[in-house]
Amino acid sequence: MTVQASSLTDQSGFTIALAGQPNTGKTTVFNQLTGARQHVGNWPGKTVEQKTGSFTHEGTTYRVVDLPGTYSLTANSLEEMISRDFIIDETPDVVVVLVDAAQLERTMYLLAEVLPLPSPVIVALNMMDIAEQEGRSINVATLQEKIGVPIVPMVAAYKEGITTLIETIQDCIKYKELDSSPILPLVGETERNLLAQIKDLIPADTTLSTDWVALKLLEGDSDVLQQIQASLPAERWRALEKILNQHEDGFLAVADARYNWIQQVTRGAVSKSAESAAEVRRGKFDRIATHPIWGIPLAILIMIAAFATAMIIVMPVFPLLSGGGLNVLINATRTALEGAPPWFVSMLADGLIPGVGMGAAFLLFLFAMFLVIGFVEDIGYLARAAFVGDRFMSRLGLHGKSFLPMLTSLGCNVAGVLGSRVVDTWQQRMMTMVMAPIVPCLAVWGVVGFFATIFFGTSAPLVTVALLITLSIWLMFTGLLFKRFIIKDEPVGLLMELPPYHKPNWKTIWRFTWGHTKAFIVRGMTLVAGASMVIWALSYLPHGDIETSILGTLGRFIEPVGAVIGLDWRLMVALLASMASKEASLATLGVLYGLSSGVGTNSLTGLIFGAEAIEHTVIATAIHTSVSPASALAFVFAAFFSVPCLGTIGAIYSESKSWKWTLGATTYYTFAALFAGFLAYQVGSLFL
Amino acid sequence: MTTLNSLETGQIAVIHSLTGDKRFISRATAMGFTPDTPVTMMQNAGGGPILVYLRDTQVAMARKEAAKVQVERSAK
Ligand SMILES: Nc1nc2c(ncn2[C@@H]2O[C@H](COP(=O)(O)OP(=O)(O)O)[C@@H](O)[C@H]2O)c(=O)[nH]1
Ligand SMILES: [Mg+2]
Repeated sequence: MTVQASSLTDQSGFTIALAGQPNTGKTTVFNQLTGARQHVGNWPGKTVEQKTGSFTHEGTTYRVVDLPGTYSLTANSLEEMISRDFIIDETPDVVVVLVDAAQLERTMYLLAEVLPLPSPVIVALNMMDIAEQEGRSINVATLQEKIGVPIVPMVAAYKEGITTLIETIQDCIKYKELDSSPILPLVGETERNLLAQIKDLIPADTTLSTDWVALKLLEGDSDVLQQIQASLPAERWRALEKILNQHEDGFLAVADARYNWIQQVTRGAVSKSAESAAEVRRGKFDRIATHPIWGIPLAILIMIAAFATAMIIVMPVFPLLSGGGLNVLINATRTALEGAPPWFVSMLADGLIPGVGMGAAFLLFLFAMFLVIGFVEDIGYLARAAFVGDRFMSRLGLHGKSFLPMLTSLGCNVAGVLGSRVVDTWQQRMMTMVMAPIVPCLAVWGVVGFFATIFFGTSAPLVTVALLITLSIWLMFTGLLFKRFIIKDEPVGLLMELPPYHKPNWKTIWRFTWGHTKAFIVRGMTLVAGASMVIWALSYLPHGDIETSILGTLGRFIEPVGAVIGLDWRLMVALLASMASKEASLATLGVLYGLSSGVGTNSLTGLIFGAEAIEHTVIATAIHTSVSPASALAFVFAAFFSVPCLGTIGAIYSESKSWKWTLGATTYYTFAALFAGFLAYQVGSLFL
Repeated sequence: MTTLNSLETGQIAVIHSLTGDKRFISRATAMGFTPDTPVTMMQNAGGGPILVYLRDTQVAMARKEAAKVQVERSAK
């Protein structure tokens, strides 16, 4: 088994793993245990988020590892493998398994899987308040006796039971015998004989219990099968295989046995009122939120409200950062550095400051977006939007949960990419992350619309339709590419729990918001700053103006390539500028066509971020006379499909924490842009 | 005997068996879909996924997948 926890257990002290099905309150408990002492990274070598933290109780420090929330521990998904391998390989000192008291049967399934693993287990019986409201009473003492491990009843949202949980963890580690008697999930008589046969054939592994391995083999767990096959002599393996082949329904038998065990231990400990909770849970709002027709406008309305809220928060501050305030800072820098080497002044004033300033303005907007996404997720609405959006998303090979991020992306790609966080499995998450920026954001429409109107006047709507058709094809093609090369498993249809609505927990929302904003500052902004500097250097060196710069030279050098796409070197450079920010392509063209000297600015970043005021109509007439319609069409298409902006790339890096994915996606968009330009030029040359 | 996707809103049934590949069965089982479990159809309309209630949980399931779940309608 492959996943290692990043040097977690190498250090002295104790390790606590938090496990639980989704929506059982794992995040809430993790936050309350660890407070601000958290670290968010990736599981080594994976693009799955790993949250670790620590707390100190009576002088002892405990490290807490938040395992991915999964419904089971079969080798169905990367998340499940990670949880399982962590418990098996790192044998944490205690595994706390969260269980939802209001949905006891189902959420205990994971517990039934964790119990046979080598680590001691504590059950955190959460959501006691909801269970009570719904008229379920649970006799904790009886349940504890029947399961055989400590049970801590909790209302995590109100911090009830946290202290007891901590004390129980401490006791569990101090007095090892406390937890030594879990009553393992029972299997029926026939299965028991079968398991005994299997056990005879498998090697007595040192770390894994043969019980567990035999159970997994009977379940047909591909990962365990492979390992056992590798470790057994061929003859013995064949004997084992024969037994397993005769019992292909082993999986259902084992699952059934787990639920039987659950029923057995809960019988007598849990009493349910006769009233059906189904109707109680499905209130009026839920009927609209999940309505096949009304659910869609509701989701769109909520996203628009999110943007509006974000804009309202940002509006008063935005002008200070972009344009006005930034220019003051830039001018102040110039004055302060009077006499310094001009390249140095330009590097700061045209490169770093405008780049980072723009990013900072962005940050506020993102902060507000995170706040809304965090809120929508916390109260439980997200799954409803996923439910109604699944029809459209599944056509692209995406999961229903990608619906909100993709909708968000229509407003702002950066927010869309960062929003992909809410998708549960890493495959679907990466797919959403890569596809969100293909969706045109408001800024893209602004610039592309401007160009289309200049060049094609009344035919502009036709161009728009062509763009939209190409977009749908491109999205579907990307989905297919993912299916073919990245997602190895069969595509699976929607199977998703709609959790009950909860009152917003502001602490959780705040942590979500701030955690992600911080991640974007650290990773995203660093990338934006770095890229600004590179673009500055390319467009400034060696002589300090863009025409003779490396970029200009490069643009002319690859003009033959550009010719195929119909773009001269100026348009190529403008295309590059559009990758930094869509609005920049206008300013860049202005300078390159000699319309503006770029007052005080002679590098690309200055143009991109400096918010140069150039009359749009002046650009319009100038470009109109010197660019052919086919070239214009090529430019519109290329700009539409190119990298949306530096911020988006920063966001991909911030979310994936992977250079490979960041660079891969960037290359992919660039290729798409050139290819779209090429197609548009060829088609345009025929007709225009 | 019928399949889950053919239940009408409000109808109650008991799961009889699951067909399909192991991945689907194992995902569905972990969500509570096992033989003999009662399930209530909460919403079956439009072309999108269906919404059912079982083991105290609301679960959305793609139509195609729901066709792999055999159920026995129970008289109301
Ligand atoms: N009523 C109630 N709500 C809770 C309790 N614990 C957590 N929640 C809420 O349940 C929702 C899901 O919790 P979260 O910690 O995100 O679950 P996770 O998916 O397991 O990480 C959030 O809205 C929490 O505020 C509890 O004991 N009682
Ligand atoms: Mg969570």
